[in-house]
Amino acid sequence: MRAIWLIARSVLLEAVRRKEIYAIVLISCLIIAGIMSIDFFGLRGLTKFYCEVSLQVMSTAAALTTIALAARQLPREFEARTIYPLLAKPVSRMSFILGKLLGVMLAAAFCFALFMAIYIGGTIYMGGRISPLLILQYVYLQLLGLLILATLAFCLSLWLNFDAAMTIGAVLYFAASIIMTSISYLYDFVGSVGKLVLKASLYGLPQLRLVDLSEKVVHSDVWSPIPAWAIAALTCYAFVYSGLYLALAYISFRRKPL
Amino acid sequence: MSQTSSPIIEVKNLVVEYGQGSKRIRAVDGISFEIYPGECVGFVGVNGAGKSTTIKTLMGFIFPTSGSARLFGLAAGAVESRKRIGYLPEVALYYPFMKGRELLELYGGLHGLTPQELRRRIPALFEELGLKGKEEVLLRNYSKGMQQRLGIAQAIIADPELLIFDELSSGLDPVGRFDMRSVLLRLKERGRTIFFSSHELTEVENLCDRVIIIHQGRIVTQAPVHELLKPLNIFELTFSLPNGKEPPQPLANHQLEKTGDLYRVTIRDVEEYAKAVTELISAGARIVTTNSKTQSLEDFFINLIQAKRS
Repeated sequence: MRAIWLIARSVLLEAVRRKEIYAIVLISCLIIAGIMSIDFFGLRGLTKFYCEVSLQVMSTAAALTTIALAARQLPREFEARTIYPLLAKPVSRMSFILGKLLGVMLAAAFCFALFMAIYIGGTIYMGGRISPLLILQYVYLQLLGLLILATLAFCLSLWLNFDAAMTIGAVLYFAASIIMTSISYLYDFVGSVGKLVLKASLYGLPQLRLVDLSEKVVHSDVWSPIPAWAIAALTCYAFVYSGLYLALAYISFRRKPL
Repeated sequence: MSQTSSPIIEVKNLVVEYGQGSKRIRAVDGISFEIYPGECVGFVGVNGAGKSTTIKTLMGFIFPTSGSARLFGLAAGAVESRKRIGYLPEVALYYPFMKGRELLELYGGLHGLTPQELRRRIPALFEELGLKGKEEVLLRNYSKGMQQRLGIAQAIIADPELLIFDELSSGLDPVGRFDMRSVLLRLKERGRTIFFSSHELTEVENLCDRVIIIHQGRIVTQAPVHELLKPLNIFELTFSLPNGKEPPQPLANHQLEKTGDLYRVTIRDVEEYAKAVTELISAGARIVTTNSKTQSLEDFFINLIQAKRS
């Protein structure tokens, strides 16, 4: 366990010292500030518009940051050859991957925490309503979504270089976010091969919309927090997908010549 | 060195191949060797001879195509055996975003050192390796030589029983090489087993008990350094003897020629040479000239590789 923590700490240290997270948060803040400044000729209901766009920007920025962080961990270790002294220590390859994953998740959580602080501050400033339990559920499920993305990016980075893993990870993220809504419309209009592809996508890709409570957070005046069984089911769903991707990454890495 | 105990490193008929199909390359071709506790062994060969591949196999970074590599009786790469190994990679690059102290805390921690042990050990290592005052400097600001010194520090931080160094002197200036030799000598005196590859053959000759020479993936020779060089050393003595006296008996075992009143003897061993001088003086001989031709490991290595190439 100590090895996992030490490796995770080094990932977190890199993320903090490289200042990428701060840059992403700053850019997102500028976008959100731009949205807050729109008046739309004094139209009512702008708070909800602000909340919706802010959460979308934050969620996308956090997802892409997580994919980038996860996708670069292993290729960079190989390219810079820093993996040799690390794996020369009494550290198993499984501990190495788990340490990297934990580090990425800590960095992602740090990034998301910054976003949420800005979001909550902005919402209060705009006079919006905050449901603490719903916010907590939203954050928890978002982190589960980021866990799925991190393991997916790890998996890709073992077969591809950083650029390719990052690009494909981002494409799969957008696909996974879109497929859930469009699949039922498309299904009746495609042939048998198309149906097969859509079914394969449905089960092969994680449905990230399932772990996205942003609409409920925006309309927290009419939505109550979701029940515990639903949270438990979504936790299982996220663990199955992330476990699957992690297992694939480990199988690939276990005997990979360095 | 104790060859009566079990070997620490045991390599048997090791074959390592890279690539697929027609591009498949055999980097290591059926090598076998053993290294015993307390030995300091140099692993020598030209670039591409298979040194780094062998070392990477020992560390479990790559896997044997056939044959076996065992360390401390366990398959190469086993986590248990790595607790007892310090390793310096061929190209030492470390996380540029970390400070020197943080890097050693990471590697020492991975080796199982407690925070108290780290607090005691890290300043001592910075001092020993000539990096004092650089503890809080980011590694991106370290020179290549400083990174190599830090690499050695991370390898020895847990005071392991076995040290495996791939290209020990890579990136070091002459002062750095001298310092590294001192560190290695201290480790050797403390009974640590050392296995290292190097292109600095003077270093190998001075430090190692034994040398293994590898060429095109095969071991061409492995022997104690002095045994390798012994047949190549030549000591010549020219002397004359008082009238009627015959050369002392021990000289008859060596190549002895007589030209007029002068004898010339060629001896290949330094101890035999010293003994012959003593015998001649007590026999009343007059030594006219002495001449010695000794070869270095580098001469031996170059001759061997040229012979292999031709």
